[in-house]
Amino acid sequence: MALPRSLKVALERVAGPSHVITDPQDLLIFARDGSVAGAPPDAVVLPRTAEEVAQIVRLAAAAGVPLVARGAGTGLSGGAVTVRGGIALQTSRMRGLEVDPVARTALVEPGVVNYDLQQAAGRHGLFYAPDPSSQKGCTIGGNAAENSGGPHCLSYGVTTNHVMAMQVVLSDGTLTWVGGEADHPGLDLLGVLVGSEGTLCVITRILVRLLPVPESVVTLMAAFPTMDRAGEAVSAIIARGLVPAAMEMMDQPCVRAVEATYHAGYPLDSGAVLLVEVDGLREATAELSELASGVLTANEATLVRVARDAAERDLLWAGRKGAMGALGRIQPNYYLHDGVVPRTRLPQVLREVERTAQDHRLQVANMFHAGDGNLHPCILFDVREKGAMETVAAAGEEMLRAVVEAGGTLSGEHGIGIEKNAFMPWIYAPEDLEAMQRVKRTLDPSGYLNPGKIFPDPDAEPHLAGRAGICAEARWW
Amino acid sequence: MVIDGLSPTRTERPANAEDLARLLAEADAAGHAVVPVGGGRALGLGEPLRRWDVALSSAGLDRVIEASGADMTLTVEAGATLEQVDEALRPLGQHLPVDPQGGPGHTIGGVLASGLYGPLRQRYGGPRDFLIGLRVALPDGRLVASGGRVVKNVSGYDLQKLHLGALGSLGVIVAASFKVFPRPHQELELLTTAPDPWAEVDRALTLAERPQALEIDSGGSVRARLGGSGGSVARLSRELGWEEVEPAGWAGATEGEPVLARIAVPARHLRTLLSGLPEGSRWWAWPGIGIAHWSGAPGAAVVAEVREAAEAAGGSLVLIEAPTELRAAVGAFGSAPPTLEWMRKLRDAFDPRRTISPGRFLV
Repeated sequence: MALPRSLKVALERVAGPSHVITDPQDLLIFARDGSVAGAPPDAVVLPRTAEEVAQIVRLAAAAGVPLVARGAGTGLSGGAVTVRGGIALQTSRMRGLEVDPVARTALVEPGVVNYDLQQAAGRHGLFYAPDPSSQKGCTIGGNAAENSGGPHCLSYGVTTNHVMAMQVVLSDGTLTWVGGEADHPGLDLLGVLVGSEGTLCVITRILVRLLPVPESVVTLMAAFPTMDRAGEAVSAIIARGLVPAAMEMMDQPCVRAVEATYHAGYPLDSGAVLLVEVDGLREATAELSELASGVLTANEATLVRVARDAAERDLLWAGRKGAMGALGRIQPNYYLHDGVVPRTRLPQVLREVERTAQDHRLQVANMFHAGDGNLHPCILFDVREKGAMETVAAAGEEMLRAVVEAGGTLSGEHGIGIEKNAFMPWIYAPEDLEAMQRVKRTLDPSGYLNPGKIFPDPDAEPHLAGRAGICAEARWW
Repeated sequence: MVIDGLSPTRTERPANAEDLARLLAEADAAGHAVVPVGGGRALGLGEPLRRWDVALSSAGLDRVIEASGADMTLTVEAGATLEQVDEALRPLGQHLPVDPQGGPGHTIGGVLASGLYGPLRQRYGGPRDFLIGLRVALPDGRLVASGGRVVKNVSGYDLQKLHLGALGSLGVIVAASFKVFPRPHQELELLTTAPDPWAEVDRALTLAERPQALEIDSGGSVRARLGGSGGSVARLSRELGWEEVEPAGWAGATEGEPVLARIAVPARHLRTLLSGLPEGSRWWAWPGIGIAHWSGAPGAAVVAEVREAAEAAGGSLVLIEAPTELRAAVGAFGSAPPTLEWMRKLRDAFDPRRTISPGRFLV
């Protein structure tokens, strides 16, 4: 669907002619995000200010054209994909960033890259806790829209726990603030807008909480003969009343690919590598790292190594955070899944993931947030092989089903988007989804904000034969 | 049971969520006003109630459904009390760090709907940060769930947040699940009555790690709760040099006197704000998170003045246990948020007839 000429002219008037893209060739660049799906927008507009965003929202609303906000396009669930065409509102020019070291907050525009915020906070001895693996590219606007996580969310919480207020444009073009630095009476609109995947508002400013950098950080790397043993070690650490800052696991394919790329010092012959990080006062990290080390050894770790200094710690983390890229050594394409199970169900679900991969003759690599029960099976494939995508999709669906049947959820930090919306009825009954849709209909009555996301598409092909309805294990009460 | 001079014509005490939802829907269809009642700890919260037919008690929904130690999660029905929860978690070496005033007898549903929390928020955040699943009865009789029992979840809208502090205005909470925490290996409570209490507060807040909770009151006492590894607790205690005391919680602060108002401001403005309270005011505050509780019986003009100062500092003043006349005079909540109209639309979508606690909430 081509954009009406009058709308193009109006967009150019708001953002300037050089900040509106409509050439079909150029639009292809904006067709994709980090997920496997893609569809080009009819126009891309790059506003500079919140007021410009509000005007663009009003234009889209008046024309009834879909509007999709887009940060760095690193999302993994298709949140930024313009499935119904329309306008992609690209936030790259909105990069204002102010740190208030006294209030321990930062006021950022949505296009600020997570890593740049970390750097700015670091200059004041502060840090911003959510640290997605894509942090060198992903934006705070995208993080807030998707309620992103990261390895250190184990003890610090996810994005929603660190966003204090947002300036947003609502579906009628109202530019307003939700939340605040202090408590305010009223419904917690901020709480429901964070993580709403661009379906309820467009974010124009974000006030985030910053935390003081801990006095001491100790990172341990432990190797195990099998994933099962490593999983038991994770449970044993939790059972000792220890919640580390992060607890990350990698399986053998992952370790090998990472080691060949980063030389992080992970033992090549291990079945699993676990990174455990504790932070806090020197006394606490000394005590807790010793405790963790003892538990790891008692659970048959073949090697426990403590990073000697910041450089070694960074190297251990570089391996973990760069794991996705390193997997390119094995296969040219990957499909990264995201699911969360109660922590104790991890070993069982990991075995089912492996069995599923074998059934489909696929290779899978695992790197994940073990402490949270947040697993990330990464299916490796070559998109040039005939039927590969279909096989990968089928295997992914089976893995997700195993997660849900273990009492888990569809996504811990990537979002639902268009990747998992068809599976929402597995974890929510029709009335649960209807309650969510009441919120959608209330805040975006005409439904033009990021349409086609989160909720199952009633017109989509039913490919879930035999698995309709809510899974018994999803009833948690 | 009386709220603002009104009493219900009947009290319903359903034995399960399905019955509760049915009773709610029947009342809604009949045009009857329903007030959900848990432990009755926060009945004075909100604007004056307009009408009241049914008291809907959660006393029959008091099961601790699952305390899964190894998963560090807890699932409970709304009528379970904080004491019951503690009893279930203590043997596991865990706790739900919610410590509001006015206990014992707070129910989970009541704490969530009233938005109350205690000084431990400094270390753990509030229920908003660790509530992971919620099941709610809607006035149309539907039972709806959001979230789940896993500690990280971005599947669909975070609807549970809309019910926090909403006084049931979008539905009656019937069950909740939480991420819980290990109890600190070591805990210690310290007290100082040094001549310059705010200087002591500053010292506590600039330690290499802040205490788990920090409290200062109008009498000049400052209390800190330390928790964590033995070594770090010992070090912080040494650096503070305060006297070790028995844990007192809320006890010493208000001595049975009703808490008039909760003031919330950005932490750096708290001291200035408290210095603006009338001479002789009694208050109890958590300086690390900018919260103060003010007790006593000042007139409407004084309350309005303090509220204006709190709002000018980017905060709020909410009346908690104030007399009906005072709430009618100055309003329980203060200036309307800029998004009031949207909140009203949400209320319309969930409780169009204003069946639940009519008049009490902002919308």
